[in-house]
Amino acid sequence: MSVNATQFLDADHLAASALSALPQIGPKRLSTLLRYHDPQTAWAVVQGRAKPHAVVAALMQESGLGAMWRANATESLREQILGRCKKVGIRVVLHGESSYPSCLKNDLAPPAVLFYLGDLKALDARRVGMIGTRSATASGRYFSSHLGFELTANGVCVVSGLARGIDAWAHRGALRACEKFLNLENKKPKSAFGEVATPVGVVASGLDYVYPKEHADLWRQVAQTGALLSESPPGAPPEAFRFPLRNRILAALSEVLVVVESRDKGGSMITVDEAQKRDVTVLAVPGSPRNVAAVGTNLLVQQGCLPVIGVDDVLVALGLDNRRANEKSFDSRPRLSEQDAHLVAVMVGAPFTLDEFVIRTSVPLLQAAIALGRLEALGWVVNNSGWWEVIEFG
Amino acid sequence: MFASVRSATLLGVRGSRVDVEVHAGIGLPGFTVVGQPDEVCRESRDRVRAALMSSGFVWPTRRVTVNLAPTGDRKSGACLDLAIAIGLLASQEIVSVEALGEFAFVAELGLDGSLRPLRGATPLVLALTDRKTIVAPGNFAEARAATPSEVFCAQNLFDVVECLAGRGVWHNEDHDKKSTANSSLKCDARRREATSVSSNKQIDEVDLADVQGQPVARQALEIAAAGAHHLLLVGPPGAGKTMLAERLVGLLPPLTNDEAIATTMIHSSVHLESPNAGLIRRAPYRAPHHSSSMVSMVGGGTALMRPGEISLASNGVLFLDELGEFAPTVLDALRQPLEQGIVRLARARTSVVMPAKFLLVAATNPCPCGEGSPGVCTCDDTARARYLRRFSGPLLDRFDLRVAVSRPNTDELVSPQRGESTAEVAGRVAAARELAFFRSGCANSALSREQLDNVAPLSRTAEKLLRRELENGRLSGRGYHRVRRVARTVADLDGAPDVVNEEHLSLALMMRVDLASGLRTRELKF
Repeated sequence: MSVNATQFLDADHLAASALSALPQIGPKRLSTLLRYHDPQTAWAVVQGRAKPHAVVAALMQESGLGAMWRANATESLREQILGRCKKVGIRVVLHGESSYPSCLKNDLAPPAVLFYLGDLKALDARRVGMIGTRSATASGRYFSSHLGFELTANGVCVVSGLARGIDAWAHRGALRACEKFLNLENKKPKSAFGEVATPVGVVASGLDYVYPKEHADLWRQVAQTGALLSESPPGAPPEAFRFPLRNRILAALSEVLVVVESRDKGGSMITVDEAQKRDVTVLAVPGSPRNVAAVGTNLLVQQGCLPVIGVDDVLVALGLDNRRANEKSFDSRPRLSEQDAHLVAVMVGAPFTLDEFVIRTSVPLLQAAIALGRLEALGWVVNNSGWWEVIEFG
Repeated sequence: MFASVRSATLLGVRGSRVDVEVHAGIGLPGFTVVGQPDEVCRESRDRVRAALMSSGFVWPTRRVTVNLAPTGDRKSGACLDLAIAIGLLASQEIVSVEALGEFAFVAELGLDGSLRPLRGATPLVLALTDRKTIVAPGNFAEARAATPSEVFCAQNLFDVVECLAGRGVWHNEDHDKKSTANSSLKCDARRREATSVSSNKQIDEVDLADVQGQPVARQALEIAAAGAHHLLLVGPPGAGKTMLAERLVGLLPPLTNDEAIATTMIHSSVHLESPNAGLIRRAPYRAPHHSSSMVSMVGGGTALMRPGEISLASNGVLFLDELGEFAPTVLDALRQPLEQGIVRLARARTSVVMPAKFLLVAATNPCPCGEGSPGVCTCDDTARARYLRRFSGPLLDRFDLRVAVSRPNTDELVSPQRGESTAEVAGRVAAARELAFFRSGCANSALSREQLDNVAPLSRTAEKLLRRELENGRLSGRGYHRVRRVARTVADLDGAPDVVNEEHLSLALMMRVDLASGLRTRELKF
């Protein structure tokens, strides 16, 4: 078995992975175990075959942890983890190893064991975390994907959580940029601005447990293009407690954290707290005060976070040269007539129904219908299930 | 001795003629009813016996056989009581058999000999148009309004016999105002009148002027009424979907004579009281609760096929609130009636065809949390998709108009300014309907594909717009024709009876909300 293991995961990695799959073992306990023992000894310790260090012994006495671990630390668990890693190609890096991401090394609570797919070199670029609500407005989704695209094209790695809504759209934009410049320049990922970065996803569940299911393609693409990280062992379901832990890694990986759209409570705000603990710059995309999905970001701006209205703001926060960013505008939409521009200006902000459009603009219904149809054809408004929304940034 | 008396029974919403043959012969005294009577029908023996005796006649001491011809069909209800009694009297030569030839009898008998009203008076008398029909006083107004032939009424069995013998005079004027001998009957009638008035009142009293703001939903109601387009209102709780739907029926023009008779037939056959004038002149409004069963919606029953809500809503409005909460089988059962305007029900013993030409209005929340608006809605995509799966695509397809309704804001709610009243809008609707019928002989929603090109030619810009929608994949082939029909109605209301312009088409397109569009991941342009 050990011969097989060395082909893919060496014995240390396998022991550490198996440890991380024990019940009731959080990042803290795992770190403690691995601080005082090397992984294989630690495995022997939980199995009861080796004598624990005094600190570890104290830990294991805590509410019967030792007994529980001993019952669960079986060879079949190890086999299972190995099988799962091999099946998907999951690799492992331990805290303290040379290939461990340098940006996590000195973190407040670095994950002791990190599972990954893809290439960790993706993290060598400048990194920006992009987070936001799962139920985003169309405007938020557009902004997220455009920012993801432009950051990637400017050589900045987009780190996100692959959740529904803002997260997924940030990565869709980033992947689009990789795809575009990869194809253009004959497999050399370069844009007009230099090197193209590759995206990094940080997920809460095990790397072979796709959640949400509809993002299976997105997971695969991110893992192939950049890297996909998780602290959870393969096969771990997306349990609620794993998400705040994931958010901490996301915050730790980010040099700058951009909140695109968020309510006043929720996962994004946890990530913001984690980022502030680590002195990571938090930027927020302001929204209309009427937009419920932008309450959290507006609050952040009110509290002093710098606002983001374009890729420049993020580049400046990173200390990057932003002069080239303006060279090419992605807004390819035709300019609006004065009348249409007025309509757009009145309706910008929260999603609206045709009713609200007619009432707020005082345009007769037939003219309103034709105007909205025209704006939609030009790409200035979109319709989702009956709600219209102005897209400010092309 | 033998006598044959004409009467009728009810099957579905139609009456069918029955000849009640009575034979009183020599043998052991007895009384048999043959010819597939049901339980209520069989019990008429006891009612008739008591009624005869109370009226001062003698129960024959002979062997009496009552045959209900044609014997093949099942007879149901008490509508043959009077005919059986008269037949018995004729067989005893108390009533002359010759006098019966020009009469038909449909009434239930009380034990005191009084004639009681029954449900289905309209279909029953319409099955007997070749005779003079005798009905109970409570049915008189309705029967007289429904049939072109002569209708008489009498208070009780004794009066009927007297009149048949030429010793009395038939009543053929409205009896509701005159006091009747039977106090229980009077009571009954008064109660029914009270309920019918109050239920009509609720719908009569609402006015479109009560709706504040909501210009799009108002326009959608107007279009739905003018072109008979089915309407789906999508919006959060408190947006006024029910309020709007209730006001649609007031926009429909009064029923034509044929429609009034057809509608009265249906309503009368389930004993819903017709208004005092006799026929139902207003378009009916039915709003069954979402727990309604399949049979209550489409009609049915074992022996007597009762019309369901869709038939009761015929020539009027069927409102389904909380569309997603209806059982999927019930909703799918609406598809055939929506397409054909009739419902064909078959059971082992019988099959009936009932009219079901209704205007369907439905209301639903856009998603489980009810908010719908992007950003405000807290549902995730899976929950939304699961919610939308409750409505089958084919059903959603049948709504020509699908309109998003939003909550009116505070300013609109407290505004003293009232919107247009029902009367004003109904005037425009009537004009548009008249135009449509004059042009093509049917409502715009019923225009055939061939007719569309003739009566709804598109302007060049409109054609371009429609082509773009088709190419974008936002419009299916079926949707294409539906949009054109709606656009025709929009243009009619806009006073453009010829060519359909871009703005008419735009509005028709806007009023076809694609509920699932928010779920699709669209490609963004870079």
